[in-house]
Amino acid sequence: MKHKNQPGMSVSISNYTLCCTLFFLLCTLWSFAQEIKGTVTDGAGIPIAGASVLEKGTTHGVVTDFDGNFEIVLASDDAVLEVSYMGFKTTEVNTEGRAVVQVILEEDLQELDEVVLIGFGTQKRGDVTSAVASVKSEDFIQGNVRDAAQLIQGKVAGLTVSTPSGDPTSDSQIKLRGLSSLTGGTDPLVLIDGVPGNLNTVAPEDIESVDVLKDGSATAIYGTRGTNGVIIITTKGGNYNMKPTIEYNGYLSMSAIARKLDFMDASDLRKRWGEGYEFNGANVEDFGADTDWLDEITRNAFSHVHNLTFRGGNEQTSVTASLNYRDIQGIFLKSDNKKYTGRINVGHAMFDNKLKTNLGVIVSEQTYNALGDGTSFNPYIYRQALIRNPTEPVRDAEGNWFERDVYFYDNPVGYIEETIGENRYRNMRFDFSVSYDINEHFIVKGLYTRKGNSNIRGFYQTKKHVSTVKYGQDGFASRGTDDYTGNYGQVTLDYNQSFGKHRVTGLLGYNYEDNTNEGFWANNRRFSTDGFTYNNIGNGQGLELGEAGMGSYKDSDKLIAFFTRITYNFDDRYLLLASLRREGSSRFGANTKWGYFPGVSVGWRINRESFLEHNKWMYDLKLRAGFGITGTNAGANYESLSGLTYGGYFFNNGSWVRELVPARNANPDLRWEKKEELNFGLDYGFLDGRISGTIDYYSRKTKDALYNYDVPTPPYYYGSILANVAQIKNSGLEVLLNVIPVKTDTFEWTAGMTYSTNSNKIVSLSNDQFQLTNDFFDEGYASEPIQVSTHRIQVGQPIGNFFGWKSVDITDDGIWLIETPDGEIKPATETTTDDRQVLGNGLPKSYFSWNNSVKYKNWDLNVNMRGAFGYQILNFSRMYYENPTVDYNTLNTAYDPVYGKAVLSDVQRLVSYYVEDGDFLKIDNVTIGYTVPASLLKFIQNCRIYASGINLATITGYKGIDPEVDRDGLAPGNDERDKYPSVRTFTLGINLTF
Amino acid sequence: MKTKHIAPFRLKLWVYGLTVAVFLAACTDLSEEVFSEVTEDSFIPADSDVIALMASAYTPLRFVMDWQGYFDLQEEPADVIVTPTRPNGWDDGGIYKRMHFHTWTNTDWQPRNTWITCFNGINNINRVILQITSGEYPVDESQVDYIMAEMRGLRALYYSILIDTHGNVPVISDYTAELPVQHTREEVYDFIVSELTEVIPLLTDVVDQSTYGRMTRYAAWHVLARLYLNAEVYTGTPQWDQCIAACDEIINDGKFNLSENYRAIFSTNNEDNPEMVFAIPYDRIYAPQWGGHMKMLLPDHRYVFGMETQPWGGSGANPQFIDSYHPEDNRLKDTWLMGDQLNASDGTVVMTLTKDMPSIYDCEFTEGFRCGKYEIEEGATGSLSNDFPFFRYTDVLMMKAESLLRTGESAAAAQIVTDVRRRSFDNPADAEVTGTELEGNTNMAYGTLAVDGSIDDPGDQSLVPYGRFLDELGWEFACEARRRTDLIRFGVYQTKNWYNHTPKGAHTALFPIGYEELNTNANLRQNPGY
Repeated sequence: MKHKNQPGMSVSISNYTLCCTLFFLLCTLWSFAQEIKGTVTDGAGIPIAGASVLEKGTTHGVVTDFDGNFEIVLASDDAVLEVSYMGFKTTEVNTEGRAVVQVILEEDLQELDEVVLIGFGTQKRGDVTSAVASVKSEDFIQGNVRDAAQLIQGKVAGLTVSTPSGDPTSDSQIKLRGLSSLTGGTDPLVLIDGVPGNLNTVAPEDIESVDVLKDGSATAIYGTRGTNGVIIITTKGGNYNMKPTIEYNGYLSMSAIARKLDFMDASDLRKRWGEGYEFNGANVEDFGADTDWLDEITRNAFSHVHNLTFRGGNEQTSVTASLNYRDIQGIFLKSDNKKYTGRINVGHAMFDNKLKTNLGVIVSEQTYNALGDGTSFNPYIYRQALIRNPTEPVRDAEGNWFERDVYFYDNPVGYIEETIGENRYRNMRFDFSVSYDINEHFIVKGLYTRKGNSNIRGFYQTKKHVSTVKYGQDGFASRGTDDYTGNYGQVTLDYNQSFGKHRVTGLLGYNYEDNTNEGFWANNRRFSTDGFTYNNIGNGQGLELGEAGMGSYKDSDKLIAFFTRITYNFDDRYLLLASLRREGSSRFGANTKWGYFPGVSVGWRINRESFLEHNKWMYDLKLRAGFGITGTNAGANYESLSGLTYGGYFFNNGSWVRELVPARNANPDLRWEKKEELNFGLDYGFLDGRISGTIDYYSRKTKDALYNYDVPTPPYYYGSILANVAQIKNSGLEVLLNVIPVKTDTFEWTAGMTYSTNSNKIVSLSNDQFQLTNDFFDEGYASEPIQVSTHRIQVGQPIGNFFGWKSVDITDDGIWLIETPDGEIKPATETTTDDRQVLGNGLPKSYFSWNNSVKYKNWDLNVNMRGAFGYQILNFSRMYYENPTVDYNTLNTAYDPVYGKAVLSDVQRLVSYYVEDGDFLKIDNVTIGYTVPASLLKFIQNCRIYASGINLATITGYKGIDPEVDRDGLAPGNDERDKYPSVRTFTLGINLTF
Repeated sequence: MKTKHIAPFRLKLWVYGLTVAVFLAACTDLSEEVFSEVTEDSFIPADSDVIALMASAYTPLRFVMDWQGYFDLQEEPADVIVTPTRPNGWDDGGIYKRMHFHTWTNTDWQPRNTWITCFNGINNINRVILQITSGEYPVDESQVDYIMAEMRGLRALYYSILIDTHGNVPVISDYTAELPVQHTREEVYDFIVSELTEVIPLLTDVVDQSTYGRMTRYAAWHVLARLYLNAEVYTGTPQWDQCIAACDEIINDGKFNLSENYRAIFSTNNEDNPEMVFAIPYDRIYAPQWGGHMKMLLPDHRYVFGMETQPWGGSGANPQFIDSYHPEDNRLKDTWLMGDQLNASDGTVVMTLTKDMPSIYDCEFTEGFRCGKYEIEEGATGSLSNDFPFFRYTDVLMMKAESLLRTGESAAAAQIVTDVRRRSFDNPADAEVTGTELEGNTNMAYGTLAVDGSIDDPGDQSLVPYGRFLDELGWEFACEARRRTDLIRFGVYQTKNWYNHTPKGAHTALFPIGYEELNTNANLRQNPGY
């Protein structure tokens, strides 16, 4: 088009001249405007679709098609092509008059241009000023992964993901930067494509990347839900101009119990009888059989998972559809989890791509066996298998379940076989979003989501179940259903502009969310027949006899927020991000419905300074600092309102009427917990990305932490009130180091290491209004027959302190000798609760992980190791079962002399002997894969087969099943005796792309 | 021209303004919508809610036979009930041993439960009084005085429990915003006396279904009689004559009689028993708090009684107390399950209970007799329907007898005791007691027991004044949640050894105030000795 305005051209020229000129012009065009063809591929020869190809110095540009091909008309002979694609280094190609060019893009290991999700938007990695981590699907943990969190286990410094329970229906436990709340838990906010959900909203196989916002300056924009971090899940999505592909991922796996506790088998027990031991209760006599009770209720669990994802798109429309089916068996009989998840996402661009719309649907159905009323596997059954006399048969001579009248002692096989139950959950989510580019500086976006889930539960214990055999239920049935609906909407206005070396972005937004829960349940007993199971609940006579139960409920809440954010970048050297959220929750008191949550962070890219510019070996060195305030919402609805309830019955003149009593005190000042966090960070990268990583230090202080305080009545109507009183401090260090020690054309070894520490302290439990005369309260519980609390939460001390009796020796008679806090030593039989002291702490002081990825030709190997250090575990199994005086079956170690001196003959006690160091290092996930060479495949683009193992080996001194125990809540480190044992899993899988 | 241009502009402004206003109003509304709860703002009281309101004053009393309730507090520290470690547990963090040894701390639940429950009742009463007098709950004018009297009488009953267990407690007679102030035991005593004296004339003297389980004039007299009976313990000054006078108020109106059949007083359907001066009604469906039997019976007792549950089998009888009975006293077998326990359906022996319990640290299931005083109906579950005879007529007679005995009228006392004993002896001669006997020493062989059942530490062997009368109270009222009070009044509680117990000092007559209670009210001072 340049030629149009060439000098010498005139509007008033003759036709001839015009013709000549046109001819001349065409010739000129032909001679200068040369067409060139080419293909863009990556290093492995895989075509890159959608790569941008630009003639340097012009605005001439095209985009590659599905096969990576492009055609471009060049304006000059010796044009230089600039080829770029996200995640690859931008490459310049000198055409030198060639007609065909082959462009190979090199992967950009520096990843500074990689886009990171920061909530309501994105930022280039290089611009990020807060502690944010991003994990892509190729770095995920592979194999039988139960949810989105397990995908990034050990990949993000400071984010602890553990799977203490082997129950296939249980979720991972997540803890980010310690415990910042007394009642608010540690669950992070989970966003799935921008909408709040949970770790199970989409299948793990359907996830493209997981981003984690760690510090308060980043999460402040999420206000009352930002304290425990934000996990942003991005699903596999289609793109415009994307060649349609179908991916299949599938695997088969086998799980087995990770470790068995060494309980006495029949021959062990007979040996003890031979030695003259006499027992009561379970082991009172030899019933002649030889039963391995654990074996009777466990199995090798086989699971299979299939995932199909279709994606593709043309210039205007992109489509993603996926279907996932998982059929997971647990190691116990009737313990399982089956789930279907379907997802469709359609994007459409209109009006010159200015208006983009997106429609999405996510639907899932989950079904599992219920062995408890409304729950999955009932851990009581596992206990019964452990403590049962191994000489008892499973069935008696008549074929009935062999049962005896020992206290809390039931046949575990009968318990499973005579229970029929199923829980079924359905989830759905409809999304609609629209964005409009007002001009090159402003984009307005809207998003609306309707969420719903429901469940129905059924549970029946037959007339052969102990509930009838021992407790006269005559058949017990229970049904229940819950229903949830939610609306989520958000409107945002994005702004971005550059002025010379200044780059500014801005965001203004509003979001609204409401949630409504309702439900109904009923139970009944005394059924005519077992035939109905739970399907004809009205048949039971318990209803007429006043023995049936029922209930229903409904509640709702709202969350509304306005928010804004600006970022400023000067010359890619000085960076600033500031955000503010004003948020209100219906749960808060009338006086304090709304709160402000500011966040600010700054960054300095030192390597961009002139004094370092010539250091080629250093490509990234950035100092970061941030401060942010986040909140934690009240845990339940209506906590700020006074409440009344119709409670128990009262006998009034021959009939029973319900009493009317206060149920809750009003607290109009109930507000969010306020967490202030300071974060200092350093990003570094050397030697072209061969060494890179981050270091972060954080210090968080929670003020106004919520706790349910006991208050005097009067003046209060009710004996406790939820109030913002306590203060908690957390601080720690997080280090991430990525190294590529070896990188050749055929061999590449990548190693990633994370290390994090956390220390935690209760600063205060009192304020002017609410005070504890004692500066502590007790948490956790060792149930019957020990019946004492396990933990003490005390001012000046960290959360997680075990509190019990310090055992130092044993008498010749086998009675514990206890050292009191004053240093006095006395027999346990003479101690009181005042003789207890701190015995250890259940929260690890540091975590470590080491992830290795090795690629050799078509082979790949991943080895992931994890460890936690500096903490203790209260081993409940030993505390309850390593004692020959109890009248159930026990561990073989019960007969070992304690302290090498005497066999125990004391009652079960919470003594320090059972508080063990929990430090461990696990080889957690090993995967070996083989990618079939493309040349061997006809219709298939990509084919990879792999074998994987999870929870493979543990190096630890801990004597229980698994040192990775339940660390949630205020009593962390209790390795409960009934805990569903963790499992070891082996998987064979295949990834196919068509 | 100017105005014409401005008008549409203003209109636009209005439209924008209105849109923004509607948006802000609708999209920033955070009011809570309540569905399945009642909040005080949304509550509109109906007539029937007055009785529902008053109900909350009574229901806390059911803690008497509830888990770790008043029964535990009154019996575990005394010399009749012992809960040793058994094959299935019952160490329970050592709580039953601490109760037996009198080494409880202020975190232990039994003392705390009594404090919490009584103040729950008292606070409910004060709240009800406030809500009615303030007009928050509209009540027929003619009813107000009677309701106030009933509530105040019941409040005095709660204080009669607290004066006995914790002594120095705050007297709270209204619902104010002030933190309660602690009172001395004497002040609490004066409060109870003055309250009852004031309300008794206003209380009903009707005794029928409509007043069953409610605070009548007779229940109020009974509270007063008990207070006078223990006045010396509470204030240092005995009130025997006042006690006799209070008992006579009940006796002379003739509304109550001795039950001819001792066991009928404790039967499942005991609501019509003529002894019930004040009962706490329980029901296995409506008021399922009676769990005491689960703690006393063995798992296998489900065959003996045809129960639909499996009891837990902890507490047994101190063998020293069993040995104190007259062998012909039917109350021995009416109160205790002993020896062979027979299957309800086929009569076979399920198990055999033996008297001795070797040690509080280690007993077999079947060691120790169990309380079988309260009828276990066929099909019984974890909660019984028996009503608890909190005040029964025999107690009125025995209070009078004790006061007579202590004021030198031992013959008259002996006559009353003989009358009470008569229903429990087949041979009327065995029922006879004399005043001299009642003035004499106890039958209990106090002293701690060795594992073989012999006495290894006799401890204080001095004579217990009126000890034989204490025995009579023991035999008649065993397992009725009162033994501790009787032992204190007779000077045994802080002086004698029994089973594995040795005395721990005078301060043990009162329990410590719980740590949470001290935590929440800085006005409270711990009882002396703790």
